Amino acid sequence: MKAAVNQKLTEMGERDRLKELLRAKLTECGWKDQMKAHCKEVIKQKGLEHVTVEDLVVEITPKGRALVPDSVKKELLHRIRAFLAQHTK
Amino acid sequence: MKMEDMPLSGPDNTKLESLVHDIYSELVEDACLGLCFEVHRAVKQGYFFLDETDQESMKEFEIVDQPGVDIFGQVYNQWKNKECECPNCKRLIAASRFAPHLEKCLGMGRNSSRIANRRLASNNNMSKSESDQEDNDDLNDNDWSYGAEKKAKKRKSDKNQNSPRRSKSMKHKNGELGTIVTSEPYKYNFNTGISYETLGPDEVRSLLTTQCGVISEHTKKMCTRPTLPDADPVVENDGFDIPDGQTLMSRLQWEDSSDISPTDSASSKASTNPSDSRRPKKKKRPSLGLNSGGGGGGGGGSSSLTGGSSSSQSNISLSTKKKRPKLSAPSIPSIYDDLN
Repeated sequence: MKAAVNQKLTEMGERDRLKELLRAKLTECGWKDQMKAHCKEVIKQKGLEHVTVEDLVVEITPKGRALVPDSVKKELLHRIRAFLAQHTK
Repeated sequence: MKMEDMPLSGPDNTKLESLVHDIYSELVEDACLGLCFEVHRAVKQGYFFLDETDQESMKEFEIVDQPGVDIFGQVYNQWKNKECECPNCKRLIAASRFAPHLEKCLGMGRNSSRIANRRLASNNNMSKSESDQEDNDDLNDNDWSYGAEKKAKKRKSDKNQNSPRRSKSMKHKNGELGTIVTSEPYKYNFNTGISYETLGPDEVRSLLTTQCGVISEHTKKMCTRPTLPDADPVVENDGFDIPDGQTLMSRLQWEDSSDISPTDSASSKASTNPSDSRRPKKKKRPSLGLNSGGGGGGGGGSSSLTGGSSSSQSNISLSTKKKRPKLSAPSIPSIYDDLN
């Protein structure tokens, strides 16, 4: 069922719309700037030349997940639920 | 989130919820990954730290947060209390008042010429009534620029005499009278000090049967309001603005001719509106139950009557704010009787 739902999500373009919505909201609320500042610290720590993508991912993702504001999270969950309610029967 | 919207319930509900949360997590991770790639690329390309320089420069341009000072550290009203010396009158003027003071002092601003013209006009009138030539000369000596500007103003108002706007509004209102009024006043009314003695009886008769003919005490100009059939009581108009003599005259002519009858007051008021917007200082005409030309035409060149009668029409042409004595209507038709 999950695969089917995911497929539907992608096919109907809803996934992309949700992605864009999330990005916009995160930038708006300052999450992106916060994360960038954190990135700077990590890079200064590790040294500019030797930073890898993996380093960043490992450092950033958990913090990023935690720092998403509640309002953004609620809005997104609501939209996903609405989509599911509409398109699964 | 209303529960009745959920198509599934019970254990399926939790499944759905976990599904929703899974999808949400995926989206958030996508966003984070996107950011990571962006930052990594910036680091590797070398533009990630571009907005940061060495410590000294950073300190120099730091945002300032003190009272009385903007974020750059500049004081905003630094020059408010300084005083400047005027090159013309050699006085010390406050900085914020310096420009307006210069405008008046050098006589080059928009308002200063207007005020000077007014002053000149009133001084001229007063000196003329006293027939004192010296004052005029003194005036001319002091303010050579004002005289030049006054001439320029006179030419300008001359030019507007027969503009399409004027004749169009007059024709619209009056029919034939409008055209007559436009042509005749141009002959007579720009001479100050017109006197009826110099004109022959026929001319005077023709003039006074078509127009009001009252000579203003102050501007010495003849009123060109067309005559009305019946004599209505004069309406006093208090609180005039002090206008310019020449421009007033031009306005007076095409405005007056629009007052054929009191019932026209509404439409004539509308027609005067364009000029109102052009010359904001002029007073709007009140309900135009004004004395008719027959009644209001003081004619005959008697200055005592002109003072009163001109008030009825030339609300605008008055150059002073003094109240005018009410005109006694009965006496005036008698002058016309003599002529006719």
